[in-house]
Parts: sequence; C-alpha cells; structure tokens
Amino acid sequence: MNISLLKSLLARPLQSCCLGLAALMSWTALATNANAQSTIGEQEELVIKQAVESISNSVVRIETLGGLEKVGQVLVGTGPTTGVIVSSDGYVLSSAFNFIQQPSSILVTLPNGKRAAAQIVSRDRSRMLVLLKVNTDQVLKPATPVARDQMQVGQWTIAIGRTFDPKRCNASVGILSAKNRIWGKAIQTDAKISPTNYGGPLVDLQGRTLGILVPLSPQQQGEVAGAEWYDSGIGFAVPLTDVLPHLEKLKAGTDLYPGLMGISLKGKDIYADPAIVSVCQAKSPAYNAGIKVGDRIIEINGHPITRQAQLKHALGSQYANQTVKVVLMRGTKREEVDVTLTDKLEPYQHPFLGLLPSRNPKEQAGVPVRFVYPDSAASKAGIKAGDIVLSLEKTPVKNAAELRTAIANAEVEQAVAIEVKRGEQTQTLTVTLTELPTAPPTSAPPAQKIPSDVPAERPAVGMVEIKIPEEKNTCMAYVPENYHPDVAHGAILWLHEPGTKKEDPVIEQWKATCEREHLILIAPRSQDPARWQATEVAFVRKVLEDVLANYHVDPTRIVAHGRKAGGALAYLTAFEHRDLIRAVVPIDAALPRRSPLKPNDPLERLAIYSFTPQGSKLSQPIQASLAQLKKMKYPVFEAKVTNPQGRLADTDLEQLVRWIDTLDRI
Amino acid sequence: MLPMNHIKRTRTYLCLFAAACLLLSNASSYGQKNSFSTVSIGVQSKMVKIYGAGGIKGLEAYQSGFLISEQGHILTVWSYVLDTDYITAVLNDGRKFQAKLVGADPRLEIAILKVETDRVDFFAPKTAVDLEAGDRVLAFSNLYGVATGDEPASVLHGIVSAKTPLDARRGAFKTTYRGPVLILDAMTNNPGAAGGALTNRDGKLVGILGKELRNALTNTWLNYAIPMSELNQAIDDIMAGKTRPRSVDETAKRPERPHSLHKLGILLVPDLLTKTPPFVDRVRSNSAAAKKGLKADDLILFVNDRMTDSCKTLKNELSLIDQIDSVQLIIQRGQELLEMELNLTDGT
Repeated sequence: MNISLLKSLLARPLQSCCLGLAALMSWTALATNANAQSTIGEQEELVIKQAVESISNSVVRIETLGGLEKVGQVLVGTGPTTGVIVSSDGYVLSSAFNFIQQPSSILVTLPNGKRAAAQIVSRDRSRMLVLLKVNTDQVLKPATPVARDQMQVGQWTIAIGRTFDPKRCNASVGILSAKNRIWGKAIQTDAKISPTNYGGPLVDLQGRTLGILVPLSPQQQGEVAGAEWYDSGIGFAVPLTDVLPHLEKLKAGTDLYPGLMGISLKGKDIYADPAIVSVCQAKSPAYNAGIKVGDRIIEINGHPITRQAQLKHALGSQYANQTVKVVLMRGTKREEVDVTLTDKLEPYQHPFLGLLPSRNPKEQAGVPVRFVYPDSAASKAGIKAGDIVLSLEKTPVKNAAELRTAIANAEVEQAVAIEVKRGEQTQTLTVTLTELPTAPPTSAPPAQKIPSDVPAERPAVGMVEIKIPEEKNTCMAYVPENYHPDVAHGAILWLHEPGTKKEDPVIEQWKATCEREHLILIAPRSQDPARWQATEVAFVRKVLEDVLANYHVDPTRIVAHGRKAGGALAYLTAFEHRDLIRAVVPIDAALPRRSPLKPNDPLERLAIYSFTPQGSKLSQPIQASLAQLKKMKYPVFEAKVTNPQGRLADTDLEQLVRWIDTLDRI
Repeated sequence: MLPMNHIKRTRTYLCLFAAACLLLSNASSYGQKNSFSTVSIGVQSKMVKIYGAGGIKGLEAYQSGFLISEQGHILTVWSYVLDTDYITAVLNDGRKFQAKLVGADPRLEIAILKVETDRVDFFAPKTAVDLEAGDRVLAFSNLYGVATGDEPASVLHGIVSAKTPLDARRGAFKTTYRGPVLILDAMTNNPGAAGGALTNRDGKLVGILGKELRNALTNTWLNYAIPMSELNQAIDDIMAGKTRPRSVDETAKRPERPHSLHKLGILLVPDLLTKTPPFVDRVRSNSAAAKKGLKADDLILFVNDRMTDSCKTLKNELSLIDQIDSVQLIIQRGQELLEMELNLTDGT
C-alpha cells in the first residue's frame, strides 16, 4: 500500500473523508499488490504508529526534583513530564505547568536514553511555555513545525508525551477541533491532553509538530489555568510555528510577555461595539504612536476589525516589543500608524480638576458645578460653584460622565483649556490638573434638590428581601422610606463579619444615614454563617444587579464595604467586578492573597477607604496591601477607627458617608 | 467521588463514538467485515452487567464483566460490589441470574462468578491477543450503569497510549497489581466500567478494564486495562477450584488436633453479618500471630491459598489444618498485600 497517498488522504479534514475514501477505494480496486486485503483501519494504525515513531527522536522526558507540593488548590504532580527539542544544540520547549513547583533541579532524558541536567533559560508568559537548555554535546533532532496555513480543522492529530515509559512515547489520537483559540494563541484538539503529555508535541500524521501541548483557559491566566479540563476532549497547543520566530530571543534569556497597547474602548459589549478609543493612556504605546480619543480601529496587521472582540483576538497573539500596523478612522479620514507594544504600562494616575458636579436634572448641556475643592486646580483657575463647564480641550461635554472621560485622557500636571459659563458669560480658562484627592472634603453643599412630591409609583422601600432564583444565599436591603426615583442614590454593599447574627446591628445603624443621605444599603448573607467563600462574589454581583435594575442608583457611587473576612470579600468583589464597583471600604481587612489585582483604570475608577484599627492582628498585611495599592496609583485613604470592635463610631461613619458622597468628583 | 467532568467526559466520548460510527458506516468501502458496528454486535453477546453491594457514599453498586466459558463463568474485577451473597448478573439478552462467586485473586484484583446456564456466547481467555502502543481498541462496559436489562453495554473507542508497568513505587497507585497495563486514551476510568472487556478493532479480547485508579504522580485519573496474558494462569487456578475454601466440601477430612484462631492468638471483629470480612480486631501478645507481625485491622484474604471471604469460612478453613502444619496467610494491610507463615510453636 502506498503510505504517502494514504497519509495525504488522512491529513484531510474528516468532512472530505468520504470522498477521499471513495478515491482510495477505486485506487485499491486497481492495485494488485499483496496488501490489498488490509483495511483502512489497519493502514490508519500503521500511519499513526509511524508518526509517533518519527517524532519520538525530538521528544524528551523531564524529571524535576524539589520544590513546592501544592500550588493554590492544585496538588502538584511529582511524576515525569514531557518536552520538545527545538534546536540541535540542546534547547527544549515545555509547558510552564510542568515547573509550577519551582524545582531545585531539572533532569532531562534525551531520546537516546541518556540523562542530562537542564536549566530554565526563559519563559513565554503569554503562552505559558518554558525554554530549557540541556547540558549535552549531542546533536539533537529538532521538531519540524507545521505552518499555520497548512493546519486544517478536522485533520488527524496525535498528542505525544513521554511520561509512562522513558523508552517509548505515549500517544492519544484525535482531530484538530479549532484554530485561533484563546485569543489567537492556541489551536484546539480533542485528543486527550493531561499532565501525561503537557509540554509534549501535537503532531500530524507525518510526525510534524503542530504545537506544544499546554493547559490554557480563555478566562484565566497562570500556569494551572485550564488544567481542570484535562482529558475532557478540550485540549490546547501553542503552534510551534508561532514560537520559533522568537526562539533566538528566548535563547538569549529574554522572557516574552503579552503585548499591551494602552487604550480603553467605548462601550461594554466587546461582541457588539466597534473599537472606538475612549481613553488613550499617556505615555502608552498607543499614545506615542499618535492614537487619539475617538479614533475607530478598523484593522490590525491586515485583519479587519469591526467589533472589539476582533481587536482582542488580533492583539492576543502579539508579544511586547512587537510592532503592529494599526489602521484607524479619525472622523472620515483613514490613518495608518505603527504601534510598538509594551509588556508593562506605567500605572495610571487619575488627574483631578477639583470639582463636584451637581446632580440636579439639567435643562441644558454642560456640567453645573456643585462644589469646588479648596486649593484645587479648579479653585486656582477661579472656577466657582454654580458655573457650568461647557468643554475641555475644545471637546464639548454634555454631562458629568463625558467630562470625567475627557479628564481621564489628560495627565496629572497637564495644563488644559476649560470653557466655563457663568451667568451669560463664557470664558476659557487654563487649569493645571492635580492628583485625585484621597480624603473627603470637610463639607459640601447638597448635590441635588430633593423633589417634594410623592411619586405615583415606586418600588418597595424599607427593609426589602432580595431573592435570586437558584441561589442559597439570602440578602436584605434597606431602601430609604423617602426613596424617590428622580434622586440618584448611592449604593453600599455591606458584607458582614462571619459569625454575625441575622439581625445585624450594622443595618440598624445605617438606616437613619440612608434616609438622610439617600443611600441604599444591600446586605447579602454568606451561605455558611461562619465564613465567606471567594466564589460568593458572584452572588454579591447578582443582588447588586437586581438593585440596579429596580432602583435609581448613581453608577459612580457604588461601594463594597465589609468587616474582617467581609472586608476581604469586599476587595475581591471590587476587583472581580471592576465594571460596577467604584470604591472599597474594608474594616480591619487586607487584600486576600489570591485577589485578582488589576491595574488602575482610567474609566473604571476604584477608590479605597481603609479602616485600620490600632493594634489589629492584621496591621502588617493591611499596611502591605495599602502600600501595594498606592504603588499602583489607586487613591487610598486610611481612616482611624475610634471603636476597634463592633460598629463604627458615629463620627467615623459621618466622615465615610461624606467621602462616598464625593465619589463622583472630577 | 468523581468530579463532574468525568460525566462530561463520558458523554463527550459516547457522542464522539456515535459520530465515528456514522462516518464509518457511510464509507461503504470500509466493508461490513471490519466495521466497528459488526464488531460491536459480536462482542455485546458476551458482556454481563453485575449488581451487588454498595450504593452508599458514592460507591456504585454495579460493575461490568464478560463471559469466559460456555457454562456461564464470568470474569470481573474483585471489588466491594462482590461483598454480598446476592450478586446479580444480567446477560446481554436480559436474562437475570443470581451469580455465585467461584473464586478470586486479590493480587490481580480479579474474580470469577458463575451463573447456572449453558450454551452462552463467550470469550476464550486463551485466544486473547496482545496489543502494542498505537493500536486501536474498543472498550465495552456498563459505565455509569447506563445500560439495563437487555440494553447493550456502552462502547468507547481509542488507542493504546502506552504499554507500561504500573509504577511499582510505593504509593504511586493505590492498587496491589504491579504488572504491565495498557494505558488507553478512551475514558474508561468511570464508575461501573471496571470489569469490562477491551478488544482490538476486530473484536478480539485483549484485556479487562481496571478499577478506578488515580495516578499519584500526575494527580490524574488513569484509564487502563490489564492484558489477559497476565491473568490466564490465575483464571485457570480459580476455575479449577484451587482458591475455593475446602470447608464447603462437607466430606473434607478433619484433623484431630486442628488449628484455631484462639491458639494462633488472633481475635477477629464481631461476626455480625452473613459474610463479615475477616478483619483482625486484636492480636494476643507473644502469640504465633504476633511473632510474625500480624496487626489489628489486617484483612485475612487467604489461608493456605484458599479464599476466606468471611469470618466463618476462615474459622472452618483453620479447622481443616493440623496443628503440626504451618498456616500460610495472605493479608491486606491498607493497599499492601503481605504474606506470612504462622507456626504454633512460635507462640506461647
């Protein structure tokens, strides 16, 4: 039987298999050789075995000694793992998963059975690969890559490991399920991928390497992300052809990082909204390349972009220091710029004009000023309460949200032109922006005139139970009796200290404040009264969304507040749901060790107001957390606690409420 | 307990196989002779669904087995499911039998049952084939108890990923079997699959699907089968009655001065059930048993190569051995099998 014909036949996608089989049929009918009896099944087996045989000279077994036993929830395996030879002088690529225990020593068994020591040279932190250098004089056989355009969904794939038997590779057979997975970084197969072949190659029927097998997850990052999908029929491989162009860099010991551009986009639905720049962070690659707010990105490296998800796809596979060609529409003009991506953006710092906007319903465009911070940029330029801000840097602003976005694009200490209307007079002032303040002002006039009428219809007020279908947690909320749908209310998520009884005295304490300050207090209960689980942030979001759907809540004043473990959960909630939460107020709580810290964001603001009791057992980690957050340029305020135990003293609460009232500052 | 993704896995696989069948049946050139569906029909008539003890704390009360003689001998895995007098075997045609335990080999973790019937379709263990890595396989079993009555067993397909000894390093695997296994890329490591048949793509018997096993080196579930060549000797011994307790034979000759638990210094757990497993409760100090290191919580599996599946059988077996002879014990301690020889003269 002509194996090469069969190979080319089997390399085709399964959809065309019937056709291919028919072709083979007629060919077999003509053939008169002795093997004509053999079935397709036998031929297929033979080809698979040959492919395994042919790659096995490029597959090594890796053993590690020493290191951690457990990483997070994952018990680290101690068994051998796999690697792929990528150059004849002893370089081996493997999965970062195989080295999470940070081993003290690495041993590699070469295909000829000889053991040699190896070291980690560098890491690809975007695709979770590790490059090893093996100490050997032997000339090794590197794996042959398959080009991207030769990969076809449906083609046979064989996943190879060298973990059961050092002399022979173990294999699992499947098909190529998809290309361009995990934002363009990986291909997908239904062959069984697990720690028995992570780091090994995914090969085609010719034994050529499609990719390096790794656990990956579209949602999470890190070495163990995606490992829970082992043996499930969902497995990923990083195309070798994508990594080889960067091999020299990796060999030189340079780690590769995901490439960042430094822009935020307008709108929240990445699958529907176009990629219009809403913030272009100062000194970022995009900023340096001349990208401006309002630009619509329509092409990256020749890939057309109509929705934000496509932009994420096109950039997902790019490394830092790579240059991408960006085509954008500025108004009706088409512009082309080259952007050199970076691995790390300077932490973003919010610039501050120094005013509070009025929350009264407006008759005209512009932002009426409620209050001017003393000694702020606005105060120095002579802006007064009652003025109306019309534009910033010649961009008209219709409302406070637009002014906030416009300011987010400026820098601290930047001089900006601001157009202000006072009475009938309009003037343009130059203000030099400062940093966002952390402390509340000592006083501020009311933000809004409260309507005196009683609305005809309004949702439930007072103590309200919020029920979420299919959730075991319960939740109470306090909506002020004077609730009026025309008033923008602040929302406070109160996350109780574990062990607090159901009639939480803190809710009682807040009632009067809620009435006076037009706040809604939302108090979810942990499922287990004795502890909060990190996963309960999902429930917290659901109750918040329920309140947002039924009541008039000001999106700039949503606060996660909690004591001790409740405070830790407040941090988690805030970082997990950056799109909703604007402030965290922990009492006697530090950042949880595994909280998903994200960089400060120009638009999704987050401020921290930490109550740090003196002599707290946690004072060290609390100080460390706050230092870390300050370093990331988050506005952090440390408040003293008058009552170390129990509820907050009235004066402490009053100051906090004043701070919450000013979260819409600009 | 198994994670949910096991269920997901199984489902994925069944779908995949269904798809593969469709595809292949479309391809007329594949020929009737070797198609998976023809092969499958041939194997199904030999498969047996086994029901017994369990059903609590995630221990499923069922497993798989297959016929190995025309007289109704069934090969299956030795497990807690068989710890009952009421083992039910359902043949492929839906006939339901109460099965008898003929014997077992705890080292290989296999057992043979028998149902009172004849002229059944069966696999002849001696004609089993050996496979190598890369060979296509079909795995037949009643995983998750999906099939009942005359419904055919579930079929998974895959390849032999590797042929390798189970790592003999202590603690790597929680099993007493240390021989070679076939690692599969079909997800057979699921409740109820153990005892199923692994065949090659022509439906020839290759091995028996192993019990659920976690690979401690990688912390992943292991999908494997034990090749028949490793089991044939044990199957012969069990079928020949070599592991059967002699005490069932009422005509067996009893010595005048037999051994007893008391004399050897062994106190078993209270005999409360119809088949109380013979666990050691206490060992008298300075006794023959203590001298050889028998300990509380040891489970006595064999006495002079005869299986002792209950406290009663153990007592009866000892009563058939003369005091002047030694007593060979095979015991299970945790996951380890130990052998020891007790002599009354050792103790005081």
